[in-house]
Amino acid sequence: MKKKEGSSYPESKPVDLLHQFEHILEADPLIDEVGFIHPSQFAKLTEEADDATDIPTSECPSFWNRDHKFGVSTLVLLPLYNAAKLAFMAAIGEYKRLGPDVVVSGDGLESEVMKHSRALLLLSPDFGTAWNSRKLIVSKKQDLSIFMDELLLSELVLSYSPKSDHAWSHRRWVIKSVTGKCSTLQEILRKESELVEKIAERSKMNYRAWNHRCWLVSYMTRERVLQELKKSKNWAGLHVADNCCFHYRRQLMLRILKDSSCKQENASAGYAIEIYKLWKEELHWNETLIKQYIGREALWLHRRFLSLCWMKQFVTDVNDVSCNSEQKISISNDFGFFISNELQLLHSCSSVPNSDFDDFKAQATFSASYMLWLTKQSSEFLSKDSEHQEKLTAGNLKTLLSKVCPERSSLWDSLMG
Amino acid sequence: MGELATEKHVQYILSVEKRKDDFISVAMEYLRMNGAYWGLTTLDLLGKLDAIDVDEVVSWIMKCQHESGGFGGNIGHDPHILYTLSAVQVLALFDKLNVLDVEKVTNYIAGLQNEDGSFSGDEWGEVDTRFSYIAICCLSILHHLNKINVEKAVSYIVSCKNLDGGFGCTPGGESHAGQIFCCVGALAITGSLHHIDKDLLGWWLCERQVKAGGLNGRPEKLPDVCYSWWVLSSLIMIDRVHWISKEKLVKFILDCQDTENGGISDRPDDAVDVYHTYFGVAGLSLLEYPGLKAIDPAYALPVDVVNKIFFGR
Ligand SMILES: [Zn+2]
Repeated sequence: MKKKEGSSYPESKPVDLLHQFEHILEADPLIDEVGFIHPSQFAKLTEEADDATDIPTSECPSFWNRDHKFGVSTLVLLPLYNAAKLAFMAAIGEYKRLGPDVVVSGDGLESEVMKHSRALLLLSPDFGTAWNSRKLIVSKKQDLSIFMDELLLSELVLSYSPKSDHAWSHRRWVIKSVTGKCSTLQEILRKESELVEKIAERSKMNYRAWNHRCWLVSYMTRERVLQELKKSKNWAGLHVADNCCFHYRRQLMLRILKDSSCKQENASAGYAIEIYKLWKEELHWNETLIKQYIGREALWLHRRFLSLCWMKQFVTDVNDVSCNSEQKISISNDFGFFISNELQLLHSCSSVPNSDFDDFKAQATFSASYMLWLTKQSSEFLSKDSEHQEKLTAGNLKTLLSKVCPERSSLWDSLMG
Repeated sequence: MGELATEKHVQYILSVEKRKDDFISVAMEYLRMNGAYWGLTTLDLLGKLDAIDVDEVVSWIMKCQHESGGFGGNIGHDPHILYTLSAVQVLALFDKLNVLDVEKVTNYIAGLQNEDGSFSGDEWGEVDTRFSYIAICCLSILHHLNKINVEKAVSYIVSCKNLDGGFGCTPGGESHAGQIFCCVGALAITGSLHHIDKDLLGWWLCERQVKAGGLNGRPEKLPDVCYSWWVLSSLIMIDRVHWISKEKLVKFILDCQDTENGGISDRPDDAVDVYHTYFGVAGLSLLEYPGLKAIDPAYALPVDVVNKIFFGR
């Protein structure tokens, strides 16, 4: 379905502009993208529309709406914003003056607040008072479909302002509000997760977006967590510099670890094996990426986490005398193998073929500081392994680090004496 | 290396307030209270706060106060803890805390503490370690820390610590230099820095310094002047600032100045704004750049202002 609205002149009165703006939003509830467009781009858009055998819009438009994409001319932003703010402030002022208990649903005042707050938020996405007014009205209704509409508005705002703190926060408010009241929570979480991924594609290393995805983890079932792990792997492999996605995977993995520690008595061996496999696989995959993409900080930081957890999880088990299952013994035997492998990795990554190559220098720095970090964080475990301890003595690492990363010499001096 | 264009920056800050004709600045009016804090603190650090009409600012601030005791970002806007701290900080700059109904403000803040010790930003319940810092900083300035459960507040912050030594918004949130500043600041004010592994956190923080000398806020990100503040103040509070190169950082900040029209940007040659101007100047102050007032790394206020609050002189 294609439709088109628009055609006003920049000299239109602000109130008319606002009405037109709100009318377009009302008439096409499926609008899923908003953008501000310079007037010079309008001509191009109109041309393209003609190619698609559409009715041409009038000249000098303020708005452009096609295929559920909504463009607003940058020329009208200021008067439009002022009109929207004025209308919103008047409506919410009146609403609060009367008090939510007096205002009868459907008498127009509520819908005025909803209409103008939406217009305002599309122009000023972090206008907190406008988000709050919606929370006030929506929480009074307690209607699931109205809550879901809030997710749509937030998504629309995020389509052009992907870092809007309030738009993300509004989603969490909705999810907290419907938790326990709807049977589709896991489905909502799945969609939330997909939305973050979609936005992360356009807005790199978006802290607010990924923070939202991490926040979802505590609401997820174990099955959902495992699916998320599977799904995010592909994305992470394609965005190896994005620490956010790796952090998200860390949260999912920690959640699985936490679940297993709660179920210590029964099925603990089965869980331990599952976690062991999960960690092994992630370590192996991470090593592959490290060798494929030279000098990526996020990959090495991920390895710090994986290795530290691996040691904490499986090395403590070695000293657990009450545990004598064969499976656990085979795990414990892998510890020496693990450390040898890390030393090999260090060796292969720390040679700098040509000192002019920044990537290789970075790789050497990351690998050596990874090893130093690991020895510092797990000295309690390493002290039980005299064979490898020797190879990890600070001396070698210090020589290496001072060579490849002299700018942090005061850190290396402090850490290694 | 260039020098700090003090006069230009003063002119820039004074001019920003008067801009009412472009969409970007008008559509940001909801956080004018934060803007006032950034701009006025910068002027104070530059020694030029006397260019401001105190009564005008104070009366505007008081018009932003809500009956709940909290402050909005502008007149007619809903209260939020973010703007409440800025309002209190600006009043502190002018030594005007006495205009406040302290009970009312501190009740508002204390009322935002949750059962688990965390703080909501306002009545709608979003939780973030930023709000923990704000609550603790604000109550400390107003001498009313006893109104909250400090022990629980601290343990919530500690629960947001990651294996890399950093802190996030909520438990499990990714480490971020801004959040780290908030958590370290809150722990410093409450005398709880022993919860921090200083070597581990210091290591993460000093890895934020990139080749160009600037600091980023997270791994793989570009350097940005505002992190000069977040990272540097944290390093100072945990006594690990000698792990970065101060000279390189000073140079990076100075390179981000608009030496013609004043103001500082996030990176060299980008557009300037008040936010980065404040963080650039505050960062230089932490780096003991000559001619600037010293700033307190935990309260984010000039040291003489903090001394006045706690020692009455
Ligand atoms: Zn910045």
